[in-house]
Amino acid sequence: MTTVAIDIRGVSKVYNPGSNQAVQALDTVSLTINDNEFFTLLGPSGCGKTTLLRLIAGFEQVTGGEIMLFDEEIENLEPSQRPVNTVFQHYALFPHMTVAQNVAFGLERLKKPQAEIDATVERVLSLVKMKELGDRRPNQLSGGQQQRVALARALAPSPKVLLLDEPLSALDLKLRQNMREELKQLQRETGITFVFVTHDQEEALAMSDRIAVMSNGEVQQIGAPTDIYEHPVNRFVADFIGDTNFLDGEITSVNDDLVTCRVGSESLFEAANSGNHSVGDQVTLFLRPEKITLSAAGDASRQGRVANIVYLGNQAAYTVDMGDGIELTAQARPREDGNLPFATNDTISVDYSARALRVLAK
Amino acid sequence: MSTWLPKSASSRRWLGLAPSYIVIGIFMLIPMVIMGVFSFLEPNPYGGVKAVGSFDAYVKLFFEYDLEDQLVFNPGYINIVWRSFQLSIMATVLCLVVGFPVAYYITLQPENKRNFYIYLVTIPFWTNLLIRTFAWIIILGRGGVIELPLQKLGIIDDSLRMMYSDGAIAVGLTYSYLPLMVLPIYASLEKLDFRLLEAASDLYANRWVTMWKVVIPLCKPGVVAGCILVFIPCIGAFIAPNLLGGGKKLMLGSLVQFQFSSARNWPFGAALSMLLLSAVVVSLIFYARAAKKRALMEGEV
Repeated sequence: MTTVAIDIRGVSKVYNPGSNQAVQALDTVSLTINDNEFFTLLGPSGCGKTTLLRLIAGFEQVTGGEIMLFDEEIENLEPSQRPVNTVFQHYALFPHMTVAQNVAFGLERLKKPQAEIDATVERVLSLVKMKELGDRRPNQLSGGQQQRVALARALAPSPKVLLLDEPLSALDLKLRQNMREELKQLQRETGITFVFVTHDQEEALAMSDRIAVMSNGEVQQIGAPTDIYEHPVNRFVADFIGDTNFLDGEITSVNDDLVTCRVGSESLFEAANSGNHSVGDQVTLFLRPEKITLSAAGDASRQGRVANIVYLGNQAAYTVDMGDGIELTAQARPREDGNLPFATNDTISVDYSARALRVLAK
Repeated sequence: MSTWLPKSASSRRWLGLAPSYIVIGIFMLIPMVIMGVFSFLEPNPYGGVKAVGSFDAYVKLFFEYDLEDQLVFNPGYINIVWRSFQLSIMATVLCLVVGFPVAYYITLQPENKRNFYIYLVTIPFWTNLLIRTFAWIIILGRGGVIELPLQKLGIIDDSLRMMYSDGAIAVGLTYSYLPLMVLPIYASLEKLDFRLLEAASDLYANRWVTMWKVVIPLCKPGVVAGCILVFIPCIGAFIAPNLLGGGKKLMLGSLVQFQFSSARNWPFGAALSMLLLSAVVVSLIFYARAAKKRALMEGEV
């Protein structure tokens, strides 16, 4: 049985309540985060994910609802009384202290014996591979090194939950990708629950055990990365995570496995029947680009004309005009000689399995 | 390019800066040199100086001639110097105690209101210091703003004797130079990254610890600058000591002023000023060294 680390119960947050600038940042959000889990809050900016993190940390006060940390109510405690630590977006390292002093700060406040503090500082600094730089000041470190110090500082007091507020957003791409793996590994090694806030869906998919997709102060969907990617519950989730083709249409027939939809004026598409659909429903179909196979014009059922190509190195994104006002985006790899397989205005075959085409309720 | 301009870039740069050298020369160097020279001359009993070289003024700082015309140590003036330092340090500490919370409070205000508060802090500067110091006589004096209500309420019978004391001088000095403490502290607090306060509270520091371990160390340059800006004019002040101290207990500033007016001993006044100047310069050198050491320690950015 899994232990619940954080239980968010109907939490609302309104900024500037009662004034004409009142902003509802969170609207009765409920979710549970399990112990020893890498949990990600994912959403566009302004969706309330950072607000939720700051409510857990205690930097903001809830307008309504409860926050339980291992069955203890914490929403009215000061940040300094909550056994959670935060890795801040811009690190917020103390510039007047050395790396080691920064890392020791929390332990000193907890009145740990000096010998234990020294040992812990050394241990966490080597955990983040910064052992040699303990005497440096933050402004003598690169962004990536500062990031590691911020991590070490937050991990040192052994928090029950580690909160990470877009910690990788200020790093360059290569470093960000390396840090993803390191963070995930760090979470496994320490066994501490990580609550990770990001707007980067790739980051979320790569690291998380579970993801909560948020928008407009509400949780849209909670699930494992594959769930979220393959079975989004609504158009927002499908659109926010990865690239997607959307087709709006009306169901014209339903059988056990498949539904048939009319899209545009006369094009018929078959899609997987996810249940509860009946003839005449207005629905949105979605199809991930990588589920589409493009090939030279042959006798496939569907053909289209290449309208646009975006070259991405390891692959190219093709926009294919299917006629009837329908465009599909698909991917193709460059050939072995490095040239792209199709050129603009080529007529090509477009294949996909009907099971890959899914129905979203409108 | 005009032909009358010097050819080399460095001489041209020097020419461009010439106005500022002239201003510094006229307003700072020349008066100081005059003071230095006067301090080594003999006083003219009718005011001014006689063009006769002498170390008498400096000797007088520490010694006097007794009845047998022997030089004996005279601690009188040194005591005044010592008192001046004590009172100035007291006033500086009071300014810090009052000024820091004021500056901190202003920093916490919304950005569009801060300038208004800063403006309020500077308003007293628009009125003559003499008049503002007289106002303190009304506040502190016998039967004044503080005493009268207490007497009427029967809390005290006699006068509190607040006027003409070291305390009154310290209060007057604190009042006079408080803005000079608030402004530099505000300037350094304004640059403080308030996310660091969140980080501290996240790491189990309560408000007091956050203040001591994070806020104060980071705005130390502002605090030191404020202390210097308050301490220096305090030690040379003569309005507050004369009006609120009754002129009986002299401070260095009053003593200098006295030498140039009633006592007509300009060289001695000049020597006292040079002593004051060297004390200030020494303390500034210490400050500069400390600042340089800190900059080295924290690594220049």
